[in-house]
Amino acid sequence: MADVVFPGLSTDDPGAEGVVATWFVDDGATVVEGQLIAEVAVDKVDAEVVAPAGGTVRIIVGEGEGARQGSVIGTVG
Amino acid sequence: MEDKTRADLYTTMVQIRAFEEAILADYHADKKPAWDIGAGLIPGEMHLSAGQEPVAAGVCAHLDNRDAVTATHRPHHFAIAHGMDLNKLAAEIYGRETGLGRGRGGHMHLFDPMTHFSCSGIIAEGYPPALGQALAFKRQGTGAIAVAVTGEGAANQGAFHESLNLAALWNLPVVFVVEDNDWAISVPRAASTSVLSNADRAAAYGIPGIRVEDNAVEGVYDAADEAVQRARSGGGPTLIEVHTLRLWGHFEGDAQAYRPELAEVPARDPIPAYEQQLIADAVLDETKVEQLRAEARQRVEAALEFAKSSPTPDPSTATQYVFA
Amino acid sequence: MTTVETTRRLTGAKAMVEAIAQEMERDPSVIVLGEDVGAYGGIFGSTTGLLDTFGPERVLDTPISETAFIGLGIGAATEGMRPVVELMFVDFFGVCMDQIYNHMAKIHFESGGNVRVPMVLMTAVGGGYSDGAQHSQCLWGTFAHLPGMKVVVPSNPADAKGLMTAAIRDDNPVIYLFHKGLQGLVWMAKQSRSVGDVPAEAYEVEIGKAAVVREGADVTVVTLSLSVQHALEVAEELAPEGVDVEVLDLRSLVPLDRDAIVASVGKTGRLVVVDEDYQSFGLSGEIVATVAERGVALKSAPVRVAVPDVPIPYARELEYAVLPRQDRIRAAIRKVVG
Repeated sequence: MADVVFPGLSTDDPGAEGVVATWFVDDGATVVEGQLIAEVAVDKVDAEVVAPAGGTVRIIVGEGEGARQGSVIGTVG
Repeated sequence: MEDKTRADLYTTMVQIRAFEEAILADYHADKKPAWDIGAGLIPGEMHLSAGQEPVAAGVCAHLDNRDAVTATHRPHHFAIAHGMDLNKLAAEIYGRETGLGRGRGGHMHLFDPMTHFSCSGIIAEGYPPALGQALAFKRQGTGAIAVAVTGEGAANQGAFHESLNLAALWNLPVVFVVEDNDWAISVPRAASTSVLSNADRAAAYGIPGIRVEDNAVEGVYDAADEAVQRARSGGGPTLIEVHTLRLWGHFEGDAQAYRPELAEVPARDPIPAYEQQLIADAVLDETKVEQLRAEARQRVEAALEFAKSSPTPDPSTATQYVFA
Repeated sequence: MTTVETTRRLTGAKAMVEAIAQEMERDPSVIVLGEDVGAYGGIFGSTTGLLDTFGPERVLDTPISETAFIGLGIGAATEGMRPVVELMFVDFFGVCMDQIYNHMAKIHFESGGNVRVPMVLMTAVGGGYSDGAQHSQCLWGTFAHLPGMKVVVPSNPADAKGLMTAAIRDDNPVIYLFHKGLQGLVWMAKQSRSVGDVPAEAYEVEIGKAAVVREGADVTVVTLSLSVQHALEVAEELAPEGVDVEVLDLRSLVPLDRDAIVASVGKTGRLVVVDEDYQSFGLSGEIVATVAERGVALKSAPVRVAVPDVPIPYARELEYAVLPRQDRIRAAIRKVVG
């Protein structure tokens, strides 16, 4: 099982909190490695999140909820 | 300058003038007794280029069919100098199905894919599309360039300034031509333009600018030579302003009451002056001149004959050609 | 064995980007130009990543010179290129409309069909986030009114991709109006139809064909863009009350699928038009006129839900009072159904 990690968007403030803006897949969906699964944002800078492995997605931080950079927002396995 | 070049410049100007004179005659012939702009063989507005032949002849001498020209509401001199088929040109002006645009465009909206020629009735708006043609040519690597023509009045329109900036910024193979014929319809240059020369405005955009005085066809030729070479060799745009002469009205039917120097205008006709110069220089003689004029008239007569014997468009096809 | 996902969810913006990228891959004559389309990726995400993939020769940032760069697109299109040009906000058309409606739209006709202008002009439309009167308009009625340009308006990511592909491949000038609220931007409140399933392969959505996105028997809501979502939401709300709403997503305004409109309204006998453009002298009137001219029998008078003839206000309470949102749509349906 692999963690889906909120990427580090702000190098000035590594502990900055952002938001999980969009989940492109539902909880329980099957994805392949490299597939686009989420989009996150810190302030107005956004980043795509791809599946670190293939398997079933478990969403930990929901759409619209806050999360810190480096935190685990979901798993795939 | 070689004799042949000079003779060719003269021939081009004579050809243009022959065409414009024939159109002038036909345009007015059947609008009587009360002048009705929509009546007759050639309806609508008519903007003839008599007096401005030197600009077209001097610039187009350096162009060939792969080069683009975007012209104005007064397009015939550039159309002819750039090699447009006279039959299709005439037929379009006469609104016939055999015209360049099947009668859909008319005299201000001439589009000729064979010579990459286009024109528009909206002042200064021919400059931006020329940039696009230049970009395409640059990408295609053919060495072709785009020549964009407008008047001195247009040099105060936004499109003019945007185009100079963008062409300079992107180093596009364009030659900008400004025909300063002193009058934007009835408004003289001094009342419209904050600078004495639009060549100075070129400097503001970081491109070379040159102003040719006295409606001199050879001066235009020389300036265009440099500008065209610069464009072809990747050196970017140039602006050429030519102080030229609008021999007739802005449009046909223009009484020009606003034009104080009107009485002296015919004396400044560039063609007789150049003709005399060439005869004096033994480039031409009276016989040759008469021959060239006759040939020009014949070609024009043939073109007008083609136009007048061509069918008018079928009204039931009026809504076609909107989309490809 | 894992199979490659052939459909996955994308935002409207990413769907547009995918369409443009696939066409740029397939056809080297496709280029993209506009303000901030390069490194920024488009103010509303329409070109994100294209610069990295295709480089600055094919994705060009322009100066703030709409007349010049839209005109440049036109000229390039006449010489064999297929430019996708972005007008940042449709509201900016005032500074460059001559090139659009007098040149881009007329050259093919004036040339008797001899010169083609295969160009896409994409532009962001729509309000609902307090951007004020000069940055919230839709204006598709204005463009649709003027002959010579096709007009397409996607309402969801799958259509956003398919219509963009079709627009790029079309040999005619196509104005592609995308609602900012449907882009799925991280910095704007998320609309439900801003994220959706999008096939991975390249495909076209036919220009000129409307789509029935919800079948119903009691009333037809003819609509487009973000309003499709609102109409669907209201339809779901009203279903338990026994009001069965059919929602017709126009997708294209030019050509307008009048047959689909007439067929749907002919079936239900009741018409509500929901249009985020200004009410008078535009699209909503065209829909009603179409129904009237074709003699479609109506059980009640049609109702138009559009932005009234006022500039769009800034304050949220005022803006939402003029937008054609769920409350006004619901009231209109109740009115025609009786």
